[in-house]
Amino acid sequence: MPAPSLGRSLRWLALPVVLVPLAWLLFTGLGSDPRVIPSPLVGKPMPAFAGTTLDGIEFSSADLLGRPAVVNFWASYCIPSCVDEHPVLLDLAARHGDELQMVGVLVNDAPDDARGFLDRYGHVSWPNLLNSDGDISIDYGVIGPPETFFVDADGIVVARHVGPLTSDEVNRQLAALGLAP
Amino acid sequence: MRRIALPVAVAALLALGALVVLELVRPSAPPTQVEQARQIAAELRCPDCQALSVAESQTAGAAAIHRQIVEQLAAGRTPEQVRAYFVTRYGEWILLAPSSPFAWWIPPAAVLLGVGVFAWWLGRGRGEAGPAASPPGQARDRIREEVEQLDA
Repeated sequence: MPAPSLGRSLRWLALPVVLVPLAWLLFTGLGSDPRVIPSPLVGKPMPAFAGTTLDGIEFSSADLLGRPAVVNFWASYCIPSCVDEHPVLLDLAARHGDELQMVGVLVNDAPDDARGFLDRYGHVSWPNLLNSDGDISIDYGVIGPPETFFVDADGIVVARHVGPLTSDEVNRQLAALGLAP
Repeated sequence: MRRIALPVAVAALLALGALVVLELVRPSAPPTQVEQARQIAAELRCPDCQALSVAESQTAGAAAIHRQIVEQLAAGRTPEQVRAYFVTRYGEWILLAPSSPFAWWIPPAAVLLGVGVFAWWLGRGRGEAGPAASPPGQARDRIREEVEQLDA
């Protein structure tokens, strides 16, 4: 039996060379979580912000330094996602309120509507910035509420979560911040 | 008539060439800040809409970005610096067109690759069909012998 020619060998090599990368792209794409949208801010210092809260108090991001922080972008019109994650945030504050700091930032929302949301779904212990000009949303590259940024004690953004927070996601991020779930 | 036609044609060509050169080298007026802002807004994706640019959208998110573009240009930043600022916040996602010129070559390269693979596949089929159509030497000799025996 004659040895296969070089051309025939290359022909059989061409099939896996084309198919294997295609299959790899397909399977990695299908397996990825669409809520994990890479942010250029991860690994970098959190953008500084300052503003007035729903309670009329001046608040600055400098107040967050020294403890891990959770910056949550939300809105009263963001239903059901913001409604779904609200008890998760309340639970997080109840369990870890002394270890980390939380701050909410409104996204294109009217203060009265935001207050109505809190009246209905539960008042919170953390400050919520009005962000009426939308500058904080732009500085954080927010596409739409809800979005949450996890920041370590040095002010470095360690993760961004797009969509409603779940208890599992919170526990995962707490571990990344060095806190017990 | 023919004596005039050639110089006229040459003169027309020269005039046309001169016009093209003038148009190319003529310094155009620099765009105003409003024009620059409009151009940048047309290149940025509106974050709270579907497949619209900031320039095309009336949403609050698009209005905030448009305002920031105007403010940053007024503060003396170049259009490139303004675009870079939004990329540092949103990533390349915010750009409606990819910034890397390499990205534009991917679709034609994929088409060329497809045509190449198809041509190779067609050529392979023809190459295999060739030897099968004519019998190998020994078989041909045997057939010829059998035909000669039948004729005899």
